[in-house]
Amino acid sequence: MELLNLNIPSWSDLAYWRPEAILCGTFLAALLGDLIGRGRRPAISFVISVFGLITAGAYSVAAVLHGGAAHTIMGDLIIVDGMAAFFRLLFILAGLATVLFSWTAEEIMGRKRENKAEFFYLTVLMTAAMMVMAEARDLLMLFLSMEAVGLVSYVMAGYMRTSLRSTEASLKYVIFGAVSSGIMLYGLSLLYGMTGAMTFDGIRAGLLAGEVNGLSLLITVILILAGMSYKIAAVPFHFWCPDVYEGAPTPVAAIFSVGPKAAGFALMIRFFYTTLAAGADPSASAPLIELINWPLLMAVIAAVTMTYGNLVALRQLNVKRMLAYSSISHVGYLLMGFVLLTDAGLAAILFYLAVYTLMNLGAFFVVVALNNHIKSEELDDYAGIGFRAPWLGTMMVIFLASLTGVPPFAGFAGKFYVFTAVMDRQWFWLAILAALNSVVGLYYYFRVVKAMFLTRPAEGADTTPLKIHWLQYTVLAVLAVPTLVLGFWFGPLKVLADQAIGLLSTGM
Amino acid sequence: MEITLSHYLLLAGAVFTTGMVGFVIRRNAIVMLMCVELMLSSTNIVFAAFSRFHGNADGHVFVLMNFAVAAAEAAIGLAILVEIFRRRRTVNVDDFKTLME
Amino acid sequence: MTAADLIFYALAALTLVPALWVVGSPNIVHAGFNLLLTLLGVAGLFAWLGADFLAVAQLMVYIGGVLVLVLFTVMMTRVPQAREADSGAKRAILPGLFALGVLVVLLLVATGTHWGAPALTDAQPTTAEIGANFMTSYIFPFEYVSLVLLAALIGAAILIREPRGTEEDDEAGAAVETAEEEVQS
Repeated sequence: MELLNLNIPSWSDLAYWRPEAILCGTFLAALLGDLIGRGRRPAISFVISVFGLITAGAYSVAAVLHGGAAHTIMGDLIIVDGMAAFFRLLFILAGLATVLFSWTAEEIMGRKRENKAEFFYLTVLMTAAMMVMAEARDLLMLFLSMEAVGLVSYVMAGYMRTSLRSTEASLKYVIFGAVSSGIMLYGLSLLYGMTGAMTFDGIRAGLLAGEVNGLSLLITVILILAGMSYKIAAVPFHFWCPDVYEGAPTPVAAIFSVGPKAAGFALMIRFFYTTLAAGADPSASAPLIELINWPLLMAVIAAVTMTYGNLVALRQLNVKRMLAYSSISHVGYLLMGFVLLTDAGLAAILFYLAVYTLMNLGAFFVVVALNNHIKSEELDDYAGIGFRAPWLGTMMVIFLASLTGVPPFAGFAGKFYVFTAVMDRQWFWLAILAALNSVVGLYYYFRVVKAMFLTRPAEGADTTPLKIHWLQYTVLAVLAVPTLVLGFWFGPLKVLADQAIGLLSTGM
Repeated sequence: MEITLSHYLLLAGAVFTTGMVGFVIRRNAIVMLMCVELMLSSTNIVFAAFSRFHGNADGHVFVLMNFAVAAAEAAIGLAILVEIFRRRRTVNVDDFKTLME
Repeated sequence: MTAADLIFYALAALTLVPALWVVGSPNIVHAGFNLLLTLLGVAGLFAWLGADFLAVAQLMVYIGGVLVLVLFTVMMTRVPQAREADSGAKRAILPGLFALGVLVVLLLVATGTHWGAPALTDAQPTTAEIGANFMTSYIFPFEYVSLVLLAALIGAAILIREPRGTEEDDEAGAAVETAEEEVQS
């Protein structure tokens, strides 16, 4: 047994992996804190989680400021580069915002006879697992990180057990999640067979060296796409999404709608970009993409996903369910950036994801804040609520306008970049379809605004002003201000996204 | 005829399809999870076969990780199943209409 | 046909036939025990492929762990009307066509691809190599999967645990808690 050629990770690798290591430690500490408090003192876990997330965030920001080259660590299975740094910040923002906001959410904290601390440490673990998803550069880590996020999601979806809806949604989620990961795994095994390699670079080299059968590669890619589509909820693997969002507590739905989706996109970008597209040698990539007609495949998925999400969202009377379908349509917009696997398209995805995280989390959090008082997410119950909580209403208008993509909100800038990336390569029908879809979106988003501000509440309904916790206002403001500012001052974020993708292509 | 790599792939493909069809036609959640186990097993056969024919152990490592993940997934899935059975006295997914409109 | 071929076909039959039975059998207990046979067949295939360690791990983890878990669940959730209402022929046509399509595509992939596989060498014991891999280049996934398993363990415990006592108990518990706090302060 020769051990000389094996790549042995060293402890110094951890220096590049501090945020993730801190979050794993935070998870264990918060778990222990919960046990010490005998399950009756969620504050211990809450404080540990917030502290850990902030520390990890500080290290992530420091890593971005130091800039620097990509590092492959942990025996070449993990890569920490510009894109990983970008997604780290995104996930920590989402995790921290969710943990802070949930502290005042009745759906989590108001339940008697149940442990409340679990939510906090599971969120921390999920954040760490999502970060690993954005860093995987090997089939094994790809699979393990997706499963880690999946398993934590299944538990969080079934977390509020007093509701039958929640349990059923999580059963559906876990069963279909298991089957989709099984399908993906079959694709991964075929890919391993074709190339004899596990790392993305090795797979790319193997595909370029060997004589690749177009049909086999297409089938393999479709099988793998199936598993990833489930994570990001693209049609036809979207069906779990509305049920799970509606069944799960709203703070859980909030992080589901941004975290795992962004992580899924990160994984897709790294996987397909390194194996099929540019990589080190851009001239060699075209045959692989053309062999399987990748642009048409992605364009069709994107078009169907956005149209389906929007059309079904039109009919929804439950705000949470409406937001679920709207998140499906946003996945469609995001997939447009994938059609050509160009740097511009992928950078546009990153930009859009950052903006989407802000506005979608914001919209869900407003639903949480309202649920605290009116115990409902039905559109009818939102009648006149804008006058009872004017600031909350205003912020909801900001988030919804941004989700629609109206200038001067951040959502407009995000859509602008995605659209131009597609039009640069003459995919006009896709851009036109997306524009039409945005108009449809205007209708159902505005319906919520109309209910909140233009509809009179029913006779005899409660019209006292709502008391919103200061922590909720703070978190919402932190999300709303960038949603506004990024609409006209988007330069820095765009530079960050371009850099992240640029490093990917010149990269290793 | 000598047994080649293709034989193993054909067998794995057949098991995979069986599991997938079972997943589609069966309505009992436990049987659906069993069908997923069939699909995972077929993948394990593919990995082991490729590992043998490529002559490296990467595939074996993957299969072992797959064991661990499959066990974790089964534990979570069955926990949710038992929980739902406590409430509904059924594990037939067609009965789960609460979410459907 | 040589003896080696016969062994392969026997193992293949042991894998595939019970798999079909899992799908076809209306009785959940039968399905569970047929799954056992399929997993045994897969373990045999592993052994036949020279993957000695995998074969043993399959026996211990899959059959000893996962399958027992499944069978326990079968026992815990067995309802008298276990039969499903869906075994009609009408619902079998579309999935049947779908299955045929998937099968044909997978067979095309299996036979039509140049896998670049070298000629077989004699199978070597794999345990040492797997162990070395797990302790060196694959040590990170090895540690990571333990975190995943821990998460699954906690998750299953969270999902399955009974809520604490009754409503009255909870108020009593809260009272005890405040009393404790007073004592501590």
